[in-house]
Amino acid sequence: YSVKVRVKADKTGVDTNNVKMSMNPFCEIAVEEAVRMKDQKLASEVVAVTIGPTQSQETLRTAMAMGADRGVHIKCDQELQPLTVAKLLKAVAEKEKPDMVLLGKQAIDDDANQTGQMLSALLGWSQGSFASKVTATKESLEVVREIDGGTETLSLKMPAVVTADLRLNEPRYATLPNIMKARKKPVETMSPEDLGVSIDTKLKTVSVAEPPTRQAGAMVADVNELVAKIKAAGFA
Amino acid sequence: VRDLYKRVIVVGKDYPKGPDYVREKAKKWFFQNKDLSSERDIKRAVATGRAFIRDEMIAAIQLKKYRVMRERYKVPEEEALAENRTKS
Repeated sequence: YSVKVRVKADKTGVDTNNVKMSMNPFCEIAVEEAVRMKDQKLASEVVAVTIGPTQSQETLRTAMAMGADRGVHIKCDQELQPLTVAKLLKAVAEKEKPDMVLLGKQAIDDDANQTGQMLSALLGWSQGSFASKVTATKESLEVVREIDGGTETLSLKMPAVVTADLRLNEPRYATLPNIMKARKKPVETMSPEDLGVSIDTKLKTVSVAEPPTRQAGAMVADVNELVAKIKAAGFA
Repeated sequence: VRDLYKRVIVVGKDYPKGPDYVREKAKKWFFQNKDLSSERDIKRAVATGRAFIRDEMIAAIQLKKYRVMRERYKVPEEEALAENRTKS
């Protein structure tokens, strides 16, 4: 999250060469919530899923160091659109049959905020996005959502898709002993073809550009000068 | 002691001031304590080191991340409040 983002010279995207990757901060919050539910004996197993190149397995190990029991790595070297991610996660959900899928509300690289909602629609499951509080009972999930102008509380029938907002929890830091223990936890690797999902996309990125640089402000001596400048700029 | 140093360096990779800063400081502190001989003193120093990693370093890392994320992903009310502050 703290890497300086640079646009590639040919404007086709962001330069990811030699960039240190880490778990999406919102997904860290999702993993933390899942592990907390397991700590409270509300969940019996936490499975972490990631889609990406070989290096993505590191992120899976971080999730397992935080407390996930096992990992699923869908190996794919191509950059994927949210709809494809949702289709892949749907295939995993149909295989694993969880009671709940927790994701971050959006990825900080594209800020799409689509995957969770698409996944819920594809699966036909209930959804609680922008969750700032999740309470589980035997029959349902109570989710408090952050919405414009306040919060909304929903009662969801499981299975459900929940996406995590910033205020849901404070994720634990994966310490070295836990990272070492996580190396022993099982990781299943598969390809999109294994799940029967095509990674073709109908979307094409036309161009990527940096936001315009902020113009420097000018100091004025007094109100009269300020008024004169405003008038000169045409705002009178 | 070696395990403690390893832990400091690993956590240092995420430390806001950077891994090089952490390595320099860690080497300085470890060398300052190099002449400790009694088991009790050594154990105490290692415990202090572990507590430092847990309470200072990890806390700093998590706080920085939370603050950056909160700044970037403001809720509409927070945005309005921030705008009002810059106006007045």
